[in-house]
Amino acid sequence: MATLLQRSDVGEFRRRYRYLVLLMFLCFGACLGRLFYLQVLHGEEYDARARRNIIGERRLATTRGVIRDAYGKVLASNRPSYNLYVVPGRLNLSETFPRLAGLCKWSEVEATTLRETLSKLQKSEQHKDQQALLYVDLPRDVVAALKTFASELPGVSVMSSSVRTFPYGALGAHLLGYMREVDAETLAMHPDAAYRAGDRLGAVGVERRWESYLRGQRGFRKFIRKRAMRERMEDLEERYLGDDRLQEPAPGRDISLTLDMELVESAERAMRGQLAGAVVVVDVRTGRLLAAHSKPSFDPNVASGGHGQAAVREAFQSYYKDPMSPTLDRTISAAYPPGSTFKPFSALTALESNLISPTEQVDCRGGYEYGKRYFRCTGVHRHVNMHQALVQSCNTYFYELGSRAKIDSLADMGARFGFGVKTGIGINPEARGRMPTRAWYTRQYRGAFRGGFTLLASIGQGATTVNVLQLTLAYAALANGGTLYRPQIVRSIETADGMVVQDFPPRVRRLIEPEPAQLSLIQGAMAGVVNEKTGTAHGARIEGVDLAGKTGTAQVSPLAPRGSDQSDVAYFNRDHAWFAGYSPAGSPEIAVVVLIEHGGGGGKNAVPVAMRIVQDYQRLKEKRLKAAREGQSGQDPRAAPAAQRGGKN
Amino acid sequence: MPLLVVVVAIASIGIINLYSATSAYVDATQRGALADVYVTQIYWFVIGFLAATLVAAIDYRHFERLAPILYVSGLVMLALVFVLATDVRGSARWIQLGSFNFQPSEYMKPLVVLMVARHIQNDTKTEARTFLDLVLPIGIALVPTALVMLQPDLGTSLIYVTSSAAMLAMTRIRTGTVLTMTGAFAAVSLLMWNFGMKDYQRARITSFLEPEKDASGTAWHAIQSQTAIGNGGLWGEGFMQGTQNQFGFLPDQHSDFPFAVFAEEFGFLGCLVLIGLYLFLSIWSLHVASQAKDRFGAALAVGAGAILFFQAFFNMGMSMGLLPVVGVTLPLFSYGGSSLLTMLVSLGLLMSVSMRR
Repeated sequence: MATLLQRSDVGEFRRRYRYLVLLMFLCFGACLGRLFYLQVLHGEEYDARARRNIIGERRLATTRGVIRDAYGKVLASNRPSYNLYVVPGRLNLSETFPRLAGLCKWSEVEATTLRETLSKLQKSEQHKDQQALLYVDLPRDVVAALKTFASELPGVSVMSSSVRTFPYGALGAHLLGYMREVDAETLAMHPDAAYRAGDRLGAVGVERRWESYLRGQRGFRKFIRKRAMRERMEDLEERYLGDDRLQEPAPGRDISLTLDMELVESAERAMRGQLAGAVVVVDVRTGRLLAAHSKPSFDPNVASGGHGQAAVREAFQSYYKDPMSPTLDRTISAAYPPGSTFKPFSALTALESNLISPTEQVDCRGGYEYGKRYFRCTGVHRHVNMHQALVQSCNTYFYELGSRAKIDSLADMGARFGFGVKTGIGINPEARGRMPTRAWYTRQYRGAFRGGFTLLASIGQGATTVNVLQLTLAYAALANGGTLYRPQIVRSIETADGMVVQDFPPRVRRLIEPEPAQLSLIQGAMAGVVNEKTGTAHGARIEGVDLAGKTGTAQVSPLAPRGSDQSDVAYFNRDHAWFAGYSPAGSPEIAVVVLIEHGGGGGKNAVPVAMRIVQDYQRLKEKRLKAAREGQSGQDPRAAPAAQRGGKN
Repeated sequence: MPLLVVVVAIASIGIINLYSATSAYVDATQRGALADVYVTQIYWFVIGFLAATLVAAIDYRHFERLAPILYVSGLVMLALVFVLATDVRGSARWIQLGSFNFQPSEYMKPLVVLMVARHIQNDTKTEARTFLDLVLPIGIALVPTALVMLQPDLGTSLIYVTSSAAMLAMTRIRTGTVLTMTGAFAAVSLLMWNFGMKDYQRARITSFLEPEKDASGTAWHAIQSQTAIGNGGLWGEGFMQGTQNQFGFLPDQHSDFPFAVFAEEFGFLGCLVLIGLYLFLSIWSLHVASQAKDRFGAALAVGAGAILFFQAFFNMGMSMGLLPVVGVTLPLFSYGGSSLLTMLVSLGLLMSVSMRR
């Protein structure tokens, strides 16, 4: 090296170093600030995130409780559904996928869409190594085929999950309910991990009301996702999992209902000729629901997702489009004018307040003049007393009665029998019904109350509405001497191995305490409805069926529901057919109410249905008594469920 | 002397950290390849240290004379990359010589600094500089920048630009020129964004701005790195105990994300020490510059310090989600022979200036 180069002046730089120093402090300061944020302020959060990276949690499924009827017949249980899972990153789209599609027997269209889903997943760094649900509810033969060729299908696995199944299908669907996928709202409301996305929960009916019992508690098992090189698995588990690595699932509680499924089947059979309507049968001695049938119905198996999510969507679309609203529970959730089935209560009101004597006769000439209006009767009954008026369902007699009564005392009697108030069954939204009072009319019609309203109320028309269950319980009270029960649908709650956890006794809502002489007068009249030649139900009488009750033909306000065809208007203008009664007439056991929506005359249409149900009830009772007698002597027929249960699960 | 101590300290921590980083079980093939990376790193450190001593022993003014030759040969090497390079994950950066890979873009860093420093030495103008005066030094930086961006390697080219800028910032420049250049830089950035950048480079930046939008690919790496750092907490998980690293959630844990490994295992306090060491080195280089006897020495010291400072900031910044993910190594810390050697040689130059004040 020759001479070194000339030194030059460095003074120019002096003042500028501080800017660089400042920049360095700022940059590293920002780093420290960020580190403080990540490590100290949010350290726990990232700690948890890192834990989630290495610790997986396998959910241990629980089994939902089984629902049975009073005799141990299974109404809702669980079955395995086989679902196809795929790890997108491990599946070869050009080789394995066509093979898979062939084995699963997918259609061309199905295969193309699934293929697109998969190729999308394969491109995602995050999802390509995670198992994805590709197809639900594979048929059993496909499952078998997939198992056989499992070695040729890398990345494909079949896992079973539990699906709710209802062996009786549409029968009793409204009461039992169905299962639906949990929505975001419910998830937000139960943040403590009771539900996870994709879970199913009871949507309506018993499934919903008793969800917390049926559901059971899910368990979990934690595990380490990957293996670190140098450590033994046991040490890793010890360090990262701690003590709460396993929680066994707890199965849900089983529920026994008060329903008698054979009686429900009988109700369904009896209603076969009808388009829409409802039947309720209760035990008059306990208020327990023995049968309830709402027509038209729906298949809870489909609604619960047993055939996949697409089928659910399709099903609900058709339910909502249907003018007959198959999802509507007509036994509880809809209110109808009771028509003449209300007359016993009007009669009782008149007797209690001495408005009319039982022997007093009213001349029916086919109608009743009141003020400027003329109120029609169903026919010309001539001179009728109370008994005859009830038997022949003479309106004129009750118009006369109504002209003497106050509307509030009618409403009061109705309220005592539970009308206008929810029964408190607890499942499904309940239509309250209405017992109009003077105050109600004043509110509704701006002060112009007219006496005609009372006339209409006394024959169960006008603004009066009831739901089918209310009417059944009121008739049960007429039959049992005045005890209004709270309706009961759940008999007991049991553990999965049959131990009773909770048993529900019948609960009395109110003792109505009518005058026994007055009540027996009305009971006699109701027996006459069926047994006397002039009785409105006499024509449809079946020999040997012991029944008392009252027919009803309720006029409807002419209004067709939306979505119905113009040609259906005639149907929607027809009267509702009612029969409300109890059996046997002498020592009542059950109360039966039959409603046929737009069924026409009650005597002609509703009575035969009730007759057949009561006939079946008597037959069932005899059969069970005989079976009990043939088995161990002196055993209660209710003991049968315990014996039957073994094979049902 | 403090310079030497701090360099050895950082490198030692780096090697220890590398041992932990590469002990992670990923899979059988990678395990074989990474098993004794830290040993290689020790070799490189020794070689680099000797090279640095040699450079420090030579009066830095000799390098001023040699600068053009070195600079041009560096450019030739960069050009050769396009012919000879082996492709690693979509970008060609390495030249293979026998069993030996080297990365010309790394070695180019101090050469650019030398060349710019030489220009500053010769440009003794006392009045404020205008844009025309700056065309030449900017050109010196931009030629290799362009070549490296074509590889493409955004991170390294950024270091050329930033270290040159730091040196030029030492000279008097007219305020108007500074403002114009800032505006021009913004305009060029926009143009680069639209025409000059590859899709994956754009993706890095968009995913940095909205990490939740695309929680896979690049953002996934960034998120995992931040998770590792956050997992460290105040005290750290302990040596070899970082789960994010040990269970293989950190990508390129030995080259691009060694800081995340360190932060997870030694926590906020460990990071405080490490950043303190880097800050000391950066400030010390300015201290050396301020005591240099001539413009060349001062500019050289600023340049060497700037390489170290910007690389450290960019790497740590991207690990902790402060900056988008660009492939910049953490000086003296990351695995990589070329990177370590270059860094040590740059510090050798700094040492040379420091010894001749």
